[in-house]
Amino acid sequence: MPAKLRHRAPVIEVPPALPADEAASIAYEADQGLTSHHFTPGEHPIVRIEHLNKSFDDTLVLKDVNLNVWPGEVVVVLGPSGSGKSTMLRCINLLETPSAGHILIEDDEITNKSAAEVNKLRRDVGMVFQQFNLFPHLTAKENVMIGQTKVLKKDKAEAEAEALKQLAAVGLADRADFKPAQLSGGQQQRVAIARAVAMHPNVLLFDEPTSALDPELVRGVLDVMRDLAENSGMTMIVVTHEMGFARDVADRVVFMEDGVVVEQGLPEKVFDHPENPRTAEFLGSIN
Amino acid sequence: MQHRRGALLVALALALTGVFATTLAAPRPAQALTTEKATARPNEDGGDGVIGGMDTRLTWEGTVEPGEEVTSVTLTLPEGSTFDGSTTRITALEGLKRMDVTGEAVPAGSSITVNFDQAIPEGSLLRLEITNMQFPSEGGECVVSGSYVSAGAEHELADSKPIETIANTPLQSIVNWLDDQPWVEAWNSNQFLGMFLKPQLLVTSFSSLAPGWILCLGIVVAAYPFAIALGLLFAMLKISKWRILRAIAVVYINVLRGTPLFLQIYIMFFGLPMLNINIDNNLLGIIVMAINSSAYLAEIFRAGIQSIPQGQYEAASSLGMNYVQTMFTIILPQTVRRVIPTVTSDFITAFKDTSLLSSVGVMELMMFSKNLTTVTGNITPYVAAGIFYLIVTLPLIKVVGIVEENIARSERGSGPRPKRRADVADSAAAQMKEATDAC
Ligand SMILES: Nc1ncnc2c1ncn2[C@@H]1O[C@H](COP(=O)(O)OP(=O)(O)OP(=O)(O)O)[C@@H](O)[C@H]1O
Ligand SMILES: [Mg+2]
Repeated sequence: MPAKLRHRAPVIEVPPALPADEAASIAYEADQGLTSHHFTPGEHPIVRIEHLNKSFDDTLVLKDVNLNVWPGEVVVVLGPSGSGKSTMLRCINLLETPSAGHILIEDDEITNKSAAEVNKLRRDVGMVFQQFNLFPHLTAKENVMIGQTKVLKKDKAEAEAEALKQLAAVGLADRADFKPAQLSGGQQQRVAIARAVAMHPNVLLFDEPTSALDPELVRGVLDVMRDLAENSGMTMIVVTHEMGFARDVADRVVFMEDGVVVEQGLPEKVFDHPENPRTAEFLGSIN
Repeated sequence: MQHRRGALLVALALALTGVFATTLAAPRPAQALTTEKATARPNEDGGDGVIGGMDTRLTWEGTVEPGEEVTSVTLTLPEGSTFDGSTTRITALEGLKRMDVTGEAVPAGSSITVNFDQAIPEGSLLRLEITNMQFPSEGGECVVSGSYVSAGAEHELADSKPIETIANTPLQSIVNWLDDQPWVEAWNSNQFLGMFLKPQLLVTSFSSLAPGWILCLGIVVAAYPFAIALGLLFAMLKISKWRILRAIAVVYINVLRGTPLFLQIYIMFFGLPMLNINIDNNLLGIIVMAINSSAYLAEIFRAGIQSIPQGQYEAASSLGMNYVQTMFTIILPQTVRRVIPTVTSDFITAFKDTSLLSSVGVMELMMFSKNLTTVTGNITPYVAAGIFYLIVTLPLIKVVGIVEENIARSERGSGPRPKRRADVADSAAAQMKEATDAC
């Protein structure tokens, strides 16, 4: 680990990752009552974050973050601006390199992997960005196809069928041949979701998917996400400021502040009876 | 001077037709051989004109009057016509009877004498078909005259109706025409206009500079694909992870952009022969232009690639694409669209810069115009060269404007777009402009 650190960054010592079975049974105990998602003894979390630290130059922006996410669970991450939500999400698909700690996906340690392995990992971890990041030179359909053909090596017809299916699922079947510039922000974000879902990832990460949208377009995107959460069984980690969505859809709400997970639990618990005064203050200021 | 001769010829033709008209008005005493007609086969490519100075076939017909016999015919065309290498077919038609006559054709300058092996009997229609002959290259109305031998005595042939022929180069005829225009004379009498914009010289310059212009275009068009490939290579090296590759790219790009093209041309054209490497001038010109442009293109491509927002890399990465896939399917296609205007501008510059090759003897546009100016003592060929450059550059400048506008419009998009995204695009565009302005 220390070899990977920038020389000015403080060296952070963390214990090695726990063995899978031990971690699973600890998680099973620890997460009781924290999530409305049903998980069974002997089941393993699909994402395991242990002692995750991340620093940019001298500033430590994630401080010993620990979190488990169960297969099919929907976790909503809340927190004030700059609290490290995006950074944590981006560490999970290695858009940021963790400074210390462990991230395991299906009990497979993803830190310290070769470039080829990282690419392989990323096809299993989808991401939806605040700025959509659609490919502007490709049509909606081609945006959804390109990962399938280039990365999954599917043939064109198969990828196209899948793309049309996913576009239909986000209500954009009739926009398949439109370029991103011809679509509204809300439509672009729905294409971005279709693009991520078409890869059939194990985990789908959302980084404030509605924050860049005009208010009247937010609804359509949230409806698509709600549909995914309720009907697809997809594991989702969602950073958002949409409290209504968090309350209705989340199995578990995680509240972060200043690079630390301050509180987590069932939505109704965190929203209505927050234990931590900072959570209460944040939710008070939002509501 | 050719055009003066042309004018003379026209006058001559006019005089001859005058003569012809008078002969009609006052018929001569009975002729033994009466000219019926004289025609020429069209030799204009895709047209029906008869062009002087190019091979064609002359057909002449005459009737042998009753009680006469003809043993030899001489046809004479205006000065400048040639019968070199002519082959002749002689036919005599007597009523419906047709006989092939043998004979010997003797060309002599602008006339040809055909001696028949047997006399052509009375009442026959004599037809002479003479191939591989040429009318004067100045063109004009060509009257066939000549003589014939009947019963041992030589007689004059009546003139044929004139055959219309076209001057060999349309250009020449334009020059001839211009020479005769009073306004041209007035125009040229102005010292400035006569020295910089002499109409006749402008016209001749266009034809004599054309090969130079074609060579300029050829050099830059041949060089450019290599320049683009090299430019892309060095752009990739310059943004590479490895410091050595970046250093190589920086040295290459900065040395080439930091020294005059003129110097690079001198080094290559004078340096390589000293190493006993002898490359054809035009080819070497292509190589120098390609290398020089590649340095500028490398910077354009680098700036273009770096103007693509980070989010595009992240989106491609999050789909699991590797670096090569990301570059070729996501980043470069977007870069191409963005750099089209700047690349076109560079192409315009490269095209103009081929003029520097004249200093080392490449026969390009400047070289031709310099030679013509030296010969004529007139600046007009340089002006003609300028017009040749503009024929290429003005449309391209227009293209740059249109493409820039299209890009601006499509980046704005038609649907409502999130505000921050627009900012990202703007700052990327600004960043790119900054980078290319620095070029
Ligand atoms: N590339 C970077 N370089 C340096 N500092 C960074 C970088 N990215 C993030 N940071 C810093 O890390 C901290 C956490 O940022 P992060 O984007 O994770 O916050 P966030 O919780 O997502 O905030 P927001 O709600 O505004 O998106 C911030 O202080 C930010 O300035
Ligand atoms: Mg964020």
